[in-house]
Amino acid sequence: MIELLLLSRLQFAITAAFHFIFVPLTLGLALLVAVMETMYYRNKDETWRKMADFWGNIFKINFAIGLVSGITLTFQLGTNWGAYAEFMGDVFGPPLAMEALFAFFLEGTFLGAWIFLGHNRQKLKAFSMWMVALGTNISSLWIITANGFMQHPVGYEMVADGSKVVMTDFIALITNGYVWYMLIHTLLAAYLLTSFVIMGICAYHFLKGNNNEVFKKSFSIAVIIALATAVMLPVLGHGYAQYVAALQPTKGAAMDAIWETGSSVPMYLIQVPDSSTGSNSIQLLGIPGLASFLYTGSFSGTITGLNQLPQGELPPVEMIFWSFRLMTILGSLFIIVALLGLYLQKSGKLYTSKKYLKLLIWSIPLPYITITAGWIVAEVGRQPWMVYGLLKTANGVSSVPTSDVLLSISLISTFYMVLLIFEVYLIKKTVVNATGVE
Amino acid sequence: MFDFLTHDMLAIIWFFLWCVIWGVYFIVDSFSLGAGLLVPFIATDKAQRMQIQSSVGPFWGGNEVWLILAAGGTFAAFPLVFSKMFTFLYLPMMLLLIGLIARGISIEYLHKDENPQIQKILMWGWFAGSLLISLVLGVAFANFFKGLEIASGGVYIGTLIGLFSPYALIGGVLFVLMSVTSGALWINVKTEGAIAAKAGDLAKKSTLIVLVLALVYLAYSFMGIEGFTTNYSAMPALYLLPVLAVVTAVLAVFFAKKDKIFPAFCSNLLAFLFVVESGLASIYPYMLKSSVSSEYGIDIFEAASSHMTLSVMLGAALVFVPIIIIYQLWAYTLFREKIKETDHVEY
Ligand code: HDD
Ligand code: HEM
Ligand code: HEM
Repeated sequence: MIELLLLSRLQFAITAAFHFIFVPLTLGLALLVAVMETMYYRNKDETWRKMADFWGNIFKINFAIGLVSGITLTFQLGTNWGAYAEFMGDVFGPPLAMEALFAFFLEGTFLGAWIFLGHNRQKLKAFSMWMVALGTNISSLWIITANGFMQHPVGYEMVADGSKVVMTDFIALITNGYVWYMLIHTLLAAYLLTSFVIMGICAYHFLKGNNNEVFKKSFSIAVIIALATAVMLPVLGHGYAQYVAALQPTKGAAMDAIWETGSSVPMYLIQVPDSSTGSNSIQLLGIPGLASFLYTGSFSGTITGLNQLPQGELPPVEMIFWSFRLMTILGSLFIIVALLGLYLQKSGKLYTSKKYLKLLIWSIPLPYITITAGWIVAEVGRQPWMVYGLLKTANGVSSVPTSDVLLSISLISTFYMVLLIFEVYLIKKTVVNATGVE
Repeated sequence: MFDFLTHDMLAIIWFFLWCVIWGVYFIVDSFSLGAGLLVPFIATDKAQRMQIQSSVGPFWGGNEVWLILAAGGTFAAFPLVFSKMFTFLYLPMMLLLIGLIARGISIEYLHKDENPQIQKILMWGWFAGSLLISLVLGVAFANFFKGLEIASGGVYIGTLIGLFSPYALIGGVLFVLMSVTSGALWINVKTEGAIAAKAGDLAKKSTLIVLVLALVYLAYSFMGIEGFTTNYSAMPALYLLPVLAVVTAVLAVFFAKKDKIFPAFCSNLLAFLFVVESGLASIYPYMLKSSVSSEYGIDIFEAASSHMTLSVMLGAALVFVPIIIIYQLWAYTLFREKIKETDHVEY
């Protein structure tokens, strides 16, 4: 049973994380390409057309895998989390079906139209891309509505025998505060990732001395988005963290590995938590009261420590702590990188700042890592609950032969690996050849 | 919303919608599946391969969403069925998944790289994916019509091998061939030149095979499958479904012979639709019929979601399904020109 549970969790983690390698770039590029197509339609400036073609090519390659890997997740809710599906179906089913009705049809249908329409039908082409952008961005609302419920159940009622939840208020489901914190944070993260990918690719061409208008213009748009989102993420993220900590005290305490209940809790710049002893093995450079301030808004606020919370219900502390640290440290770094980029560009030194351009290329993976870390905080931090306070993960799993799950996890992981390598190869080729820019 | 409908009525309406959504999925995806099944065998060079690719390229993605809607709709309206269907058929569902991934990626990436070796692999990936999808679904649905081995307490006692009964195999082959026929006719409708002619010739033969196989399948269903006729005896109007299936299959043969390809294409789609619906009509009120004993099956009333969920979903479906159909049809009219060998599409 334990093995089955572990494998099923692992399989979901791998496939969800894989899906989310592609989704953020889709969300961001769809909007940007739509803007580029529209600008070309408006003023017939060839630069806009080339930009739309180049980024559009990258979008297409990225989109394909996002699409097919999403189906895996839908299927797994039944194959691997059957008990959960029965428990949650009444609540989870509608957002999932709405996602298909509102979003996926738009996306799928208009993507085909956008790809196959030539620039001689620019108005329709631009319109199609807007529909794709609308579809992709709406899709995140629906799926996060479902996830928001798992994090913070609202608008439901448990049936008498406790075997399942039924929906009592659909509006409450969508207006769930958790959903909106999560949605905005996720979308901003997606736009940040997109802008870093664009800046990195432009930097590659600047380094090669290819100071094409296409890349210059793309860079100047991306750097603004990067700065705006990089500033907003920590500001809003801070509010999000407070909100989450209030609703899920176990996750909240784990994010900063706060073991003992207290007031005026300091935050340690250097800290190594150890759940086997229920304390930090190293803690240095404490800033008095900062943790209290961040969690409660007051330097003398009280935080409930992990050791005072129900012991059977603690998530894996180290994993959450390190993921959270990683997200926030990288999050601060992005602000510096973006500021520097804006400064260099305004002062005209950008194209000759070899070190900075190289830094930009090496920064491409960072938002991907940050986003994965963020999801680990959100999803692993919810453990051992699958639906917070209502259903334990251990009770959500399907009873299928462990060997079947072992087979599927090996099959899917291998397949995914090949896909990932192939897609990186194709994107790299598109970037190096600047396909669409000639 | 829909307070005037009882919970049971809503469940029945959703069962009906469920049958419709699956039916629509099967027919709209059949020609992209068929194109994939045919491409390695009828395209002789890259130009012809691109013609086939472009004939389904703008549509396959939007069409596949009907499958996602079928899955999501099952989840929303009948969570218990969603759970059991995917859990019982774990490995077949994983194969279906692999098929869906392989098919999608292959169509999208087919000509993204110049390397002929890679193009060849992707072409076969497209074929293998399409084969897996149509075969697994054909076998799965035949098993739904026949009943799964569900014992008392909802325990599944079936095995993977057990799914491949002769009846299920005929179902699988029928679904594959219906898709092949659909694909061949579609290619003929959508393209010009050698590839169109080849596809047209093939369709003439395959419509005939489909007719024979459909007759065998329906006869087997009515005579060899326990409980298949129960609903038909209770409500003889249902016999219209299998009759229409046969009539449209005959029409497909007839039109194909006369080189009226578009009518042949439509007839074949309808034949596919009616074959599927004939089977689905037989299982009501069960969604997962049990071949062990009918009382162990999972019926729609037991599996249905709450009144609230069913009504919210019904409202959404009534508003959005027509809109979706309108813009999907619009997309077909956008690309009505026939694709020539010399066309160069930026895929
Ligand atoms: C580039 C991406 C990125 C950046 C810079 C940040 N985040 Fe983040 N974060 C995400 C990307 C992300 C994410 C991957 O998108 C998550 C996963 C779930 C979610 O809603 O967003 C997330 C989750 C997430 C959670 C967990 C929510 C939950 O359990 O539901 C918290 C508390 C924060 N973030 C807080 C922050 C703070 C305080 C940041 C300040 C630097 C920050 N994030 C920067
Ligand atoms: C796409 C971004 C996402 C990523 C990277 C992600 C990541 C993960 C990870 C790492 C786990 C394993 C947790 C553990 O078992 O310790 C998990 C579990 C799970 N997540 Fe997510 N998740 C994402 C979004 C979602 C969304 C939007 C939903 C639902 C709407 C969801 C539903 C689930 C379910 C059902 C499980 C399995 C049960 C569990 O372990 O709690 N996930 N996810
Ligand atoms: C575990 C939960 C999830 C499930 C079950 C799921 C399901 C799906 C499915 C079935 C598709 C394919 C749709 C198509 O055929 O067009 C898809 C694509 C997509 N999903 Fe997810 N998804 C999940 C998590 C997420 C999250 C967290 C987001 C965003 C915040 C997201 C955003 C998207 C987007 C934008 C696409 C389309 C773009 C692309 O193909 O890259 N998904 N998803």
